[in-house]
Amino acid sequence: MIKSIWELFNQEDLFECYQCARCTGSCPAAMVLDHSYGPRETLLRCLNLGQEAVVNDERIWYCTTCQVCEDRCPQEIHISDLLTAICNLAAQRGNLPEKIKFGVDLVAKTGRTLVISDKVHRDRQKLGLPPLSPLAVDEIEGILKKTGLNEDLDLS
Amino acid sequence: MPMKYALFLGCVIPVKYPGFEKATREVLKALDVELVDLPFSCCPAPTQMKLVHFDSWLALAARNLCLAEEAGVNLLSICNGCVNTLKEANLALKNDPQRRNRVNEVLKEFGHTYQGSIKVKHLLDVLYQDLGLERLGERVVHSLSHVRIGCHYGCHLYRPPRLMYPENLSEAASYVPKSMDHILSLLGAEPVEYSRKFLCCGSALGTNIDQEAANEITREKLSHMRKHHIQAIAVGCPSCFSQFDRGQMMLERKYHDGFNLPTFHISQLIGLAFGLDRNLLGLNDHRISLEPILKQIASGA
Repeated sequence: MIKSIWELFNQEDLFECYQCARCTGSCPAAMVLDHSYGPRETLLRCLNLGQEAVVNDERIWYCTTCQVCEDRCPQEIHISDLLTAICNLAAQRGNLPEKIKFGVDLVAKTGRTLVISDKVHRDRQKLGLPPLSPLAVDEIEGILKKTGLNEDLDLS
Repeated sequence: MPMKYALFLGCVIPVKYPGFEKATREVLKALDVELVDLPFSCCPAPTQMKLVHFDSWLALAARNLCLAEEAGVNLLSICNGCVNTLKEANLALKNDPQRRNRVNEVLKEFGHTYQGSIKVKHLLDVLYQDLGLERLGERVVHSLSHVRIGCHYGCHLYRPPRLMYPENLSEAASYVPKSMDHILSLLGAEPVEYSRKFLCCGSALGTNIDQEAANEITREKLSHMRKHHIQAIAVGCPSCFSQFDRGQMMLERKYHDGFNLPTFHISQLIGLAFGLDRNLLGLNDHRISLEPILKQIASGA
């Protein structure tokens, strides 16, 4: 469980930002949100208003994790790590889109994000592919118990 | 000395696009590369698990890395998302002893200890760096007939470069991928540069929150590809593939742009150039028709 985004991101790195907006100019999420939202502003809000100002915003989930912001930042700030930290805390607080909840829950229960149906087995056989290795679901469940996935997040 | 890798399929390809898996296995067989199948779990996704629970993401990734280490082989991924997670986790565990100890505490009960003894590679890395263009060239029997191809490398393959390609950084700490373009030239296709070549396909946005918004990003890419008279798209990732294939179909229903730009996974194009049977390359699962391109390739223009 994390209590603050600063456990996953070094707060002092934010002081390097001089608001050039190169990150937002490159951001695909900002593009589809008509630039009403983007990494530059998120960073500034974290810096000036603290994590509480961003952690409840649903728009943080528009990040595609393309990492162009980080790649192009002239100050080499790891902006995508900031988004990861914000999203981690947001998820704990219940700001978590249904689709992601479902996907993560499926991994927790089956070890995969897509269900293997009988049709999948048949299609694979038709192509001459080997059957999929059975997964040690117990092991995965055990690991996630130790890391506290279901304690920290409500995936119901 | 035969090369051997653990094939990391990820969650999507074996279920949604088994043709890419078949094409990859056949191509690597033709190149005398041995593949090992291990009971990997979801990588887990940099676009989901990593964003919601970092510790779980790292522990599951570490377990996958341990499986490869225990088998004594490097990992070969055919998905950008998987290679991103596994490369980043591998580096994070190698460089941060505190994190590594915490993860090993979690894993030891299950008989795994992360050692940092193997490397993670994408299919493109194996073909371009480990095998080399010369070895690939020896197997080419059929030219791709100057088909104009727009390479879409995707984001997770090489960003951030300091984690994905730390040994290939330029002085300015940048990295521009070229492997797919060079491989396609070798195969007789014509790789074409286009504006916004390195823009994201938008896939994660669709999977996580808003498919229509994701498709808008894909539409931007398709528009630029058309402007540069690109005939087909090459990708190395099932998520990117889904955006350009299914996504294009959804966009067509909405906007009637008429792009008609089919997409191939790189393994399929290599398979075609190697003269492999069409039925072994999964060419029947595409929503946007491949026929005009396949005709051009077959004609040997």
